[in-house]
Amino acid sequence: MEAITGWWDDYFFATIVVLKIFMASLLLMVIFGLIGAAAKLSNSIIAKKIANAYTIIFRGTPEILVVLLIYFGSAIALTALFQVFDPSIKYVDVPPFWAGTFAIALIVGSYATETFRGAFLGVEPGSIEAARALGLSNIQTFIYIRIPEMWRIALPSFGNHMLSLVKDTALISIIGLNELLFVAEQATATTGKPFTMFIIVGLIYLGISTVITLFVMGLEAYGRSHLRAVK
Amino acid sequence: MISLLSKLFDFKNKMGVKMNILNKKLLISLTALVFTVIGPANAEKLRVGMECTYAPFNFKTADGVLSGYDVDVSKGVAEILGLELEYVCQKWDGMIPALLANKFDLIIASMSITDKRKEKIDFSGPYRDSVGQMVARKDLGRDLFDSAGNPDAAAFKGIKVGLERATTYSDWFEQTLPSAKVVLYDSNEALYLDLLNGRTDVIMTNPMKAHLKFLSKDGNEGFELAGPVIDDVAYFGVGVGIGLRQGQEELRDNLTGALKTLIKNGSLKEYALKYFPFQIHNDKWAD
Repeated sequence: MEAITGWWDDYFFATIVVLKIFMASLLLMVIFGLIGAAAKLSNSIIAKKIANAYTIIFRGTPEILVVLLIYFGSAIALTALFQVFDPSIKYVDVPPFWAGTFAIALIVGSYATETFRGAFLGVEPGSIEAARALGLSNIQTFIYIRIPEMWRIALPSFGNHMLSLVKDTALISIIGLNELLFVAEQATATTGKPFTMFIIVGLIYLGISTVITLFVMGLEAYGRSHLRAVK
Repeated sequence: MISLLSKLFDFKNKMGVKMNILNKKLLISLTALVFTVIGPANAEKLRVGMECTYAPFNFKTADGVLSGYDVDVSKGVAEILGLELEYVCQKWDGMIPALLANKFDLIIASMSITDKRKEKIDFSGPYRDSVGQMVARKDLGRDLFDSAGNPDAAAFKGIKVGLERATTYSDWFEQTLPSAKVVLYDSNEALYLDLLNGRTDVIMTNPMKAHLKFLSKDGNEGFELAGPVIDDVAYFGVGVGIGLRQGQEELRDNLTGALKTLIKNGSLKEYALKYFPFQIHNDKWAD
């Protein structure tokens, strides 16, 4: 194990990077998922079609391809675009952190779109009728009836999406971000101990995903707490 | 993009929620966050792409310091040309696409100059060998090469030669010594393993790799590099160079000139001796 002496700090900072990507992509993923679900449930045919295209494209293409396309493609496209307005600009860079975060949020967001759509459809019609009978406004119905019912339905799948996000952060090493897998490769090149270095990465990911699993389990228990008296 | 997405929200959806104002603001700030615009690059500052995982040519030490032969070469060139360098770590597979997408300006990553790569990018002159050499048992008891340094076909009779499949080395061997008995392997490691086990008597590979992975390891003292370095350009290419985007003739010539200076003043040899017991460039490149 003495091979990893001197690499602990690299692993620590890489773990921080992974957690930062996870937090940022989680926020974006929820936004993409909600926009997608809203579009799919809307009355607008155009919105529906765009949302359908989104889920078809991002659920149907390899994740690594999306990461590479967004990283390389966005730099080329944006540079060309910005040079139209200001030819002195040499390049527009999308940092690997944001390109990667955006890419995995788009991918997992496409799955979340379906989860959220299903969850909104799963809200009891009786609850909505009751809200109408009580004279609740649309916004009140959304906040007090739809959201509380919907998140309980969505939670188990949503937990899966969070785990997908955590594991997808490993994909970002391909675009050169100093995350865990990349640190392991660098350490292997110097120490010649690939097994040790990659086992550490595995353990760190396992640690993060265990915390998330426990958190989701806790939330699910909280979501069922009002039913305890019924049992 | 912003207007497109917020347009989605302008439609009254089934939920009857009007979130358009809130979301427009959110989307604008998010867009600004994601597409960070880097202004015009400083002309004197160049970004260098390398793997950062390819010891001993470019790698990070446990202290986080980027080191290796490629790194030394890049620093030597930067000093001569008065450039400021910034290093970008990039996986090998995406190296050329990243250069073309302007993620960095130079590739200094042990990339061999080949005609295929030249279709997409430009190269400076070479700064490192791309050559082959044989490794043999010390007690083999015969000279595989004549006094002029040419392989002696008669000396290869009765011995087995280990080679990696579909490499420059196997091409060279098939053309130069068609009568030799050859055993083909899929990996560099297997090549050394069977030489050690006695299944082959001689192997041919990259002498830098052979030194690092085999000859310098304990228990392999009974083996040595045999014969001269074989650098037939038709088979091995002209060497490893600095890659850059096409259409930058001035920069390319400056880089080549700087590399020639490094050869002449002995710096390149000095860099190589840090990691190998021999130099890994050809002095003729300075002419």
